[in-house]
Amino acid sequence: MTSILEIITSEYGVHLAILVSLYLILAQSLNLTFGLGQLFNLAHVASYAVGAYATALLSTDYGATFGVCVASSVTLSGVFALLLGVISLRLSTDYFAIGTLAFSSVISALLINWKSVTHGVLGVPGIPRPELFGIDFYDNSNFLVLIGIVALATQVLYYLLYTSPFGRSLRALAEFERAAAALGKNTCRTRNIAFCVSSASAGLAGSFFAYYLNYIDPSSFALGEMVFILTIVIVGSPGSFWGVIGATAFLVLLPEPLRFLDISSAYLGPMRQLLHALILFAVVWWKRDKLFPQRRTV
Amino acid sequence: MLEISDIFVSFQGTKVLNGISCTIATGETVGVIGPNGSGKTTFFNCISGFAPSDSGAISLRGERVDHLDPHLRAQRGLGRVFQNFGIFREMSLLENIQVALESRRERAPGLFPWSKRTRDIREQSMTFLKEVRLEKKANDKAGSLSGGQMRLLEIVRTLALGADLFLLDEPTAGVSPRMKEDIARSIKNLQTLGKTVLIIEHDITFIQKFCDRIIVLEEGQVVLDGTPEQVRSDVRLQEIYFGRDEQPTSA
Amino acid sequence: MLSILPQLVVNSLITGSIYALASAGLALTYGLLRVLNFAHGHIMMVGAYFFLLFYAQLELTFLSAVLCSALGMSVVGFITLRVFVLPFMKASALLPFITTMALGTILESIISMAFGVNVRSFPSSIGSESAEFYGVYITPLQNFIIASALVILGCMGFVIHQTSLGRKLRAIAENRAAAESLGISTTTITYGVCILGTLLGAYAGILVGYETNIQPTMGSSYTIKAFAAMVLGGLGNIWGTVAGAFMLGLIENLSIGLDFGGYSLPAGYKDAFAFIVILGVLLLRPHGLFGARARVA
Repeated sequence: MTSILEIITSEYGVHLAILVSLYLILAQSLNLTFGLGQLFNLAHVASYAVGAYATALLSTDYGATFGVCVASSVTLSGVFALLLGVISLRLSTDYFAIGTLAFSSVISALLINWKSVTHGVLGVPGIPRPELFGIDFYDNSNFLVLIGIVALATQVLYYLLYTSPFGRSLRALAEFERAAAALGKNTCRTRNIAFCVSSASAGLAGSFFAYYLNYIDPSSFALGEMVFILTIVIVGSPGSFWGVIGATAFLVLLPEPLRFLDISSAYLGPMRQLLHALILFAVVWWKRDKLFPQRRTV
Repeated sequence: MLEISDIFVSFQGTKVLNGISCTIATGETVGVIGPNGSGKTTFFNCISGFAPSDSGAISLRGERVDHLDPHLRAQRGLGRVFQNFGIFREMSLLENIQVALESRRERAPGLFPWSKRTRDIREQSMTFLKEVRLEKKANDKAGSLSGGQMRLLEIVRTLALGADLFLLDEPTAGVSPRMKEDIARSIKNLQTLGKTVLIIEHDITFIQKFCDRIIVLEEGQVVLDGTPEQVRSDVRLQEIYFGRDEQPTSA
Repeated sequence: MLSILPQLVVNSLITGSIYALASAGLALTYGLLRVLNFAHGHIMMVGAYFFLLFYAQLELTFLSAVLCSALGMSVVGFITLRVFVLPFMKASALLPFITTMALGTILESIISMAFGVNVRSFPSSIGSESAEFYGVYITPLQNFIIASALVILGCMGFVIHQTSLGRKLRAIAENRAAAESLGISTTTITYGVCILGTLLGAYAGILVGYETNIQPTMGSSYTIKAFAAMVLGGLGNIWGTVAGAFMLGLIENLSIGLDFGGYSLPAGYKDAFAFIVILGVLLLRPHGLFGARARVA
């Protein structure tokens, strides 16, 4: 028992708690579009990347303060979603998936190649930890308090969203778009708002990710990360608020014991990936009939 | 020819067919009528294998077929004509017939377009098209046809399949009034060929011309079964379509 | 500027041939099942690694290495369909996309563990010295890539449009229930097409290995390229997809090869440029460039 307690209070425990907080924001925001809205949004990680790079570049190359960085991350990711929405929201399911995938591919190609701005594959080093109200967040436990508050606030916001009239109309039009439209719901605006809120939250997570690691590079925003966040939402059951919270904690912590086994670091990454993919497949297999309500058209 | 006993079908907990039993004799033409939602199309889907039954038995010429996939039932002579047109619109009329002839089991289809067997099948397809007077459009896409022509093509295609039991799901739906006569003629042609025919139809006056028997379905059950005259005069038919007269008829 | 145009066109033909082989199988499967197989690029990658294993590591002869890879890939294709696609078809159109995404990740991690994450290439047995024709340089390998792609696609066209098998295929793609009611065994044909698509993908993967190099992480980018070709041609339209693949090759090579008033795009941008074109197509013609209805031919 003592050893577990030691782990929780140790630097490593703090690190894990920060990771969980980060993924809580990412997964819950994907849950809004993918779970409630049934929009197979594969550009969520691109929104995350936009937020992370906004903070990283503004704070290093332009010396912007914490408030400015976070605000620009959130705004840029929101605007990014508007752009994405214009192109993809009127497409049918399959084209929508491909469209969002192409969009995120454009972003990752830009991150790698637009070297004069993004620093290319070398990434952005030396992102300073923020200082706020005279408190500095160089220390990880201080940073945990900050990101914990932000994560909690996001969860409350999403809880309110899910139970609000907006959440209900998003749910309704996911199941039966024309029936929702016939009830006077503006289907296009509802989806656009969901997209923007979700993307802006991912940008917020990106901003904190950049601050936490002090260093980001394009490899953190690859498609594998998208699959991971998708796995969280599916394991937690799409559209379920508490389910996604539980699944975040479970999936972020699950591969950690692998670290204590005698496995070379070359195998560690692929093994984590394999574990997540197998869990994803198993969950979809077991819940294949009830994961999504059958979409109806007339 | 076809023996159906105690068929139950349900979708997601809702019972659609509630124990249907009936026997269709070889060469008989039977009309299936009933209000919307009475399970007529599900009944056909169940016979042709698209809607799996929960329980019950279906036998074709004495052979149990209820465990077979749709294509295996088709190979045993069960032909289906769909309500919303089962033709292949992107293929030519000729190809529509060819594809049916080529899935018959007696002989393997030709390997190359220039094989003798393929040429034979093409000629045979032309004679089928001539029967419904569509031979001039043989190389047009089937999607260019009118509703009535599509239906004729589908009936003659099922004939090319070698079916001896025909399930026609509303053959006059989406067909112009003028073409109805052509459809009626091709159904009569099926009768002279000795085929067994089941027809779902809304228009009772249209089918009573050639039906030996009419079955009335309501809420997934057979409520009436008899000659067209018997069924037409039965008071229960009025009740099904126009509702029960709740006023006590005092005499 | 115009002097390099012929070279760019030839380069586009090479890239386009590989993309066409990679996406033709995907388009065929989509036409039959209406399912986007996200793992298709990963399957290409596995095909290339199978060949690497049999040819370079186990040192089998070329022919037996090809046969062993084909056998292995047939099993992969069968499992893909049987385990990762068919059980999920009825429930929701989204599920097979998610499960094939899981499959792609599984394949990628297994290959990473077995072969390492580093870039690999095949021992070159086909000549790599360029020959010059009228100022255009092309290697014998590249000639082979173009020729084999044209032959394979030609054979596919012949089978689809002229034979009874092709007629059955088109019938299933257009109306599965009607095809079944004509006694066509959709299961057999679906498995056959899926395995054929897997083999075509694996062949494309091997060509990539000879022409450039292979890496466990190459899968998803080829999936996205194949999707892009499908979008250009219209989902499920196989000849549209093939045309889309060659266009994608052309777009990529022209975007970096030509200079726009003294400014030319660096090579790394060709992917971004190709995807921007796809997004433009989606914006202007949401059903692809060649027609609205999804179909096989």
